[in-house]
Amino acid sequence: MSQSFYLAATSRTPEVAFDIDAKTAIIEGECYPEDADKFFAALNKAVEDYFSTGCNELQLTVNLIYFNSSSARALMELMDSLEGLASTKSISLNWLYDEGDDITEEFIEDVTSSYKNMKISSSSNPG
Amino acid sequence: MELAKFAQLREILPEDRFMLCYSGYVSESVLEAVGGTLKERLNLHITEKKKIKVVFSIFVELMQNLIRYGASGPKGEHIPNEERAGFGMLMIIEDDDGSISLLSGNYVSSEEKLAMESRLERLLGRSHEELRDLMKEQMRKPPEIMSKGASLGLIEIARRSTRPIEAAFVPTANAQHFFSIKAYV
Repeated sequence: MSQSFYLAATSRTPEVAFDIDAKTAIIEGECYPEDADKFFAALNKAVEDYFSTGCNELQLTVNLIYFNSSSARALMELMDSLEGLASTKSISLNWLYDEGDDITEEFIEDVTSSYKNMKISSSSNPG
Repeated sequence: MELAKFAQLREILPEDRFMLCYSGYVSESVLEAVGGTLKERLNLHITEKKKIKVVFSIFVELMQNLIRYGASGPKGEHIPNEERAGFGMLMIIEDDDGSISLLSGNYVSSEEKLAMESRLERLLGRSHEELRDLMKEQMRKPPEIMSKGASLGLIEIARRSTRPIEAAFVPTANAQHFFSIKAYV
């Protein structure tokens, strides 16, 4: 396993792991960083670095059990940029939410409903 | 403050129920410390995972509102801005019916009051669907000028609250207002 980018989870930020060999990435945990813009800037950079290697394929799993409103906007922007990249690359997004968390379920719908390039799947973690 | 007055607080803040109360200057490090305590206590007290998450998420948005908007203390003193710490009060208390009320309050200038009122006007009394549409619309807009944060926090509080949120402004000295907001889970 070779991870091209790795951030361990903290009490306020999720674990983030990009694996260039497996062509996968995962963002998992809770997300309410002190500075959401700064945290997501690092993620945007990781995406940029990942594709700068010439790799044209990514399977991203997002499993954020909680994120605050500042992260919501930054997360949407990250997804928007992946959707843009997916016009020339094969990108799939598997976005998970906790069962019964209707606000997050609606958020996923509202962010991804206009996307045409990425392959999107979404399902709930059992409660 | 006299000890007798301090002891009176005990009567207002009942000790026989789930409660968390904070008053003082708030910063991201206070959010983290108080949030950690809150999470531990919620996990011991509430079995429903979803309810714990809703309480915690409203707590985070209320605290970040206090940090961003509470720029001055009760006497209008200027607080050094490096840490963006403002004065704020927060209370989380279980009511007789088992619901949890979350209240926060801070001092705002007349200018901040106007900005806050216009934000509140858009979301008070709105349905779940209307709030969802408002969130969607605001997310794609740049943050408002007067709102130092992502301007989505209040909408998030209103969406998560299981009853309509309430807000009030009480005039105080030095042309300030005490702004308070209440949500339920």
